[in-house]
Amino acid sequence: MDLVNYLTFSMIPFFLGIWGIFPNKRNIPIMPTLIELMLPVVNLNSLVFLVHLDDMMGQLSALFALTMAAVESAIGPAILVITFRIRGTIAVELINCMKG
Amino acid sequence: MFDHDFLALFLEIFLINATITSPIYGVVFSTSKRYDYPPLVCNVGWLGLPSVLITILLVAAGALVANLFYNNLIIDNFTYFRQIFPSLSTASTIPTCLDYFKEESLNAPEFIILILLSICSMFFMILAYDLIATYSAIEPQSLCFYVIAASKRDSEFSTEAGLKYFILGAFPSGILLFGCFMIYGFTGVTNFEELAKIFTGYEITLFGAQSSGIFMGIPFIAVGFLFKITAVSFHMWAPDVYEGSPTLVTAFFSIAPKISILANMLRVFIYSFYDPTWQQLFFFCSIAFMILGALAAMAQNKVKRLLAYSSIGHVGYLPIGFSRGTIEGIQSLLIAMFIYVLMTINVSVTVLALRKNRLKYIADLGALAKTNRILAITLSITMSPYAGILLLAGFCSKFYLFFAALGCGAYSLAFVGIVTSVTSRFYYIRFVKIMYFDTPETWIIYKPMDREKLLLLAITLFSTTSFFLYPSPLFLVTHEMALSLCL
Repeated sequence: MDLVNYLTFSMIPFFLGIWGIFPNKRNIPIMPTLIELMLPVVNLNSLVFLVHLDDMMGQLSALFALTMAAVESAIGPAILVITFRIRGTIAVELINCMKG
Repeated sequence: MFDHDFLALFLEIFLINATITSPIYGVVFSTSKRYDYPPLVCNVGWLGLPSVLITILLVAAGALVANLFYNNLIIDNFTYFRQIFPSLSTASTIPTCLDYFKEESLNAPEFIILILLSICSMFFMILAYDLIATYSAIEPQSLCFYVIAASKRDSEFSTEAGLKYFILGAFPSGILLFGCFMIYGFTGVTNFEELAKIFTGYEITLFGAQSSGIFMGIPFIAVGFLFKITAVSFHMWAPDVYEGSPTLVTAFFSIAPKISILANMLRVFIYSFYDPTWQQLFFFCSIAFMILGALAAMAQNKVKRLLAYSSIGHVGYLPIGFSRGTIEGIQSLLIAMFIYVLMTINVSVTVLALRKNRLKYIADLGALAKTNRILAITLSITMSPYAGILLLAGFCSKFYLFFAALGCGAYSLAFVGIVTSVTSRFYYIRFVKIMYFDTPETWIIYKPMDREKLLLLAITLFSTTSFFLYPSPLFLVTHEMALSLCL
């Protein structure tokens, strides 16, 4: 199996997720989405390594990371919802209560 | 198979059980019609405090050295003393909360429970001896923190702080995980001990590296950690989160997580990846850290923001200790961290005490010397070791850090450190000037503090001012910790 291909395949969405935060000026729900994009891709990395190394630790850690990602994706939208309830908007440029 | 493992983890088991019991109590009684739906936050707080204190007793009573659960967790002298710091800081946070809840009429018993839960995960973070164990301990802690940062649901500031913390906290977790998996993929192990064996004499330079995957993994792990201790260039969330979230949350954020994450960083970077290459990273990070902490705090008018920046600056002095990886450096880091914790508890208790009219701007402290003389003296004393005035604890901690830096040849680091600490004295002195010499238009009379805050203030003030009289116990303890980490 070609490790490089699999790693490139998983690395592209990962860096897309990091990069995606910066041009995003209007929309907050995109941000948790991008984080949700990063985490499974990292998990995919681990699974590729597990097959490559023939070692079970990768599977175990992928399962752990999956659970954590699930909890994160539950808490993030909850915080979004309470923000929206108070402000009535979730535009990024309006999130500036605190200015240095 | 696990005969003694559960015995060694007795205090974690105890704390988790206590944490689980208190929400049951809270939920059952706060929804009971018979007692007229009582607000239980203080009761849960007073339940949480003894459970933390019993945990401290258990830590102190059961000193043992063990590798647990197939070497996923470790208990040695380093972890043993390290656990006392976060539990002490929690034990000091909880009693200060109680008055806050009463005044704000904020009925959120889950707040105390989340603090206890995050303390559990901090314990595991300190014990972690495996990359995956580290990640799965860091993550529950951050999850608790996202929730308690946004715990005031009807405040725009708090929800915004929670949102920012979530976005900028979940991100580094992904980066950290990526780094962990890169290391795993290119070495095949995740255990710190095995990693240490692999990395012995490895030389992780860019061009001399045998494996670019490892070269990529270590910076990712470092960035993930640096985000979490609000290092410079990864600090952008910290002032906003500190300002927006409720004051007691700010107090908790600036103390407890930094101890545990630095403990874990030491374990990873001193024990597993010991190498001069990444030490450069911390070297430059520390310089940037100190400069930004000193300069940005000057421009601040709000108290909590100023505290955030000064905590950034203070944590910036800590990487001096391990940017060269000597035993003296690590020891001075541990000393500085202990003193930082003491001083931060003192300052944040003071800020919590001055809550009438929601103390927001530094100018609101005007004429505090006339309205509340003793508090003004306390604040000016604490502010001076923050900046490092002679013979107070902050001076000792910085002195040993710079001494360690000079001892291992990091002259530029010591130079920048001294220059920035002199610069930062400006804005701490400004506090004193405002309190003693300004006469404001509106005199703000603050409510007297409650007994718990007074006690905490007295204890921390006494220990910071009289530290230099008898510093040897702390030195011995930190030396033992540093030795058990390095040897």
